[in-house]
Amino acid sequence: MSNLSDFISSFEENYGKLVESVEIFEETRASIIAKRGSYIEIAEILRDEYGFVIPIAGGAIDYPEENRMEMNYYLDSPDSDFIVIYRVHLARDDLVLPTMTTVWEAMSFHERETKEMFGIDFEGHENMVALLLPPDWKGGYPLRKDFKGEGVE
Amino acid sequence: MPEPKIESEIMRISWGPQHPMSGQTRILLDTDGEKVHKIIADIGYTHRGIEKVLENRTLIGGIIPIERMNMVDSSNIGIGYVTACDKTYGLEVPERAQWIRSLICEMGRINSHLYAFGLQAEATAYFPAVFLWTTIDREVLLDLFEELTGARWSYNHFLPGGVFKDFPEGFEAKILEAVQYLRRRFKDYWNAMIENPMFEMRCDNVAILEPKDAIRLGATGPVLRGSGIPIDMRKEEPYAAYNSLDWEVITEDACDIMARTKVRFHEIGQSLNMMEQIAKEIPEGETRARFSPFSRAPEGEHITRVENSRGEMSIHMWTDGTTNPYRVKIMPPSLRNMYVFERLAELSEIVVADIPVVVNSIDPWYLDSDR
Repeated sequence: MSNLSDFISSFEENYGKLVESVEIFEETRASIIAKRGSYIEIAEILRDEYGFVIPIAGGAIDYPEENRMEMNYYLDSPDSDFIVIYRVHLARDDLVLPTMTTVWEAMSFHERETKEMFGIDFEGHENMVALLLPPDWKGGYPLRKDFKGEGVE
Repeated sequence: MPEPKIESEIMRISWGPQHPMSGQTRILLDTDGEKVHKIIADIGYTHRGIEKVLENRTLIGGIIPIERMNMVDSSNIGIGYVTACDKTYGLEVPERAQWIRSLICEMGRINSHLYAFGLQAEATAYFPAVFLWTTIDREVLLDLFEELTGARWSYNHFLPGGVFKDFPEGFEAKILEAVQYLRRRFKDYWNAMIENPMFEMRCDNVAILEPKDAIRLGATGPVLRGSGIPIDMRKEEPYAAYNSLDWEVITEDACDIMARTKVRFHEIGQSLNMMEQIAKEIPEGETRARFSPFSRAPEGEHITRVENSRGEMSIHMWTDGTTNPYRVKIMPPSLRNMYVFERLAELSEIVVADIPVVVNSIDPWYLDSDR
């Protein structure tokens, strides 16, 4: 589906109840916030029905004041002129998600990176070892907001 | 990365990070005789935490560290970040500045592809001379960069709302001269590499990546286009002056190493055409929008996607109303292509001797995948 507003209306009509919200930002980005229960199911629908077969990346963002984190998956399709950001909200004391590598295999590296940088666990990931940090790293999770990056010994 | 378990009757070869051809990474090859069963890439040797560094800088202060992500192609990294800053501040970039931005990006692309050829020629082990040729020819571009931006590496020439400086006097003529020289040289490269039967033997039908696998594994840039899929961010989401320039997306259908090399060759041709067009047709006008460099960035989130010489580089920037970004997520092309490289041994038969050629065919840049 190449047109963003067509995609949004079709998606909302068919699967609007299975997600928290669907919105457009920046004209060519669709942001879909998933519900935990239908998380993988909607991902498979995005891939098979709407053709979002190209995994661009995955990454998280930390909001300590709201006590939550957000995991984002960036998806592209060969014949659309927009991308989808598929998001899920996590409480900061319950950082466990089912892995997305069952849907998009290439999210493997991005989930490994998110695990070491934010401490989000991806259940069912086949090879969850550190990607960028050294194997003996004990300094915590560098991209969390409470990790002080500079000027700290 | 902790040492992965080895299966029985398999020999593991650890290649890099000190090997001259490997770059700053370690690649584990599980082999059975000459055949490679499995490739495991152990990246992260050059991780510097650039995403965290950017959170502690002002938006404009981030331009300097982010260009360190890729030394041969820093302009195409900088453009992604600066375009995200433009969107955040809501700046309208003047036409002339957009054309100068495109010029610097295309020069960076040629520079980077030339470096990739040099390494590719070196990896096949037949033509180390080509590496010296490309090194000499890159000087032509580096001199142009030096005259325009004052630097040969890490130009930092882009600013939110425009570029740092306009062309020096008589610069257009120098661009045309360089274009003419490089066009002549490319005939030599074509004959020495693509038309050479020895190079063909090393590159034809090696490391096949079918289009469906390229998409599934998230390949990008010349690797994706070498599998026949015409995706290029300069066409998908035009930035700088790419809407006004005449050029086309290059694809090759052979899906092998030769196809990826040819894509880079033809892309240089397109980049030279663009350089020529910019030198001849660049519009007059301002080169910078009015903007206070230390102003607070309005709250919001923005995504920019640009085409690096290695593929799509995207930046997702969140701002929260202070002078610094709240978070910058960088999606580098080499990380995506490294995953493809890990899977290549499962898709077609690769022997140990081919590994340097295969890894250079995806043109990884570890500073960029590690950030």
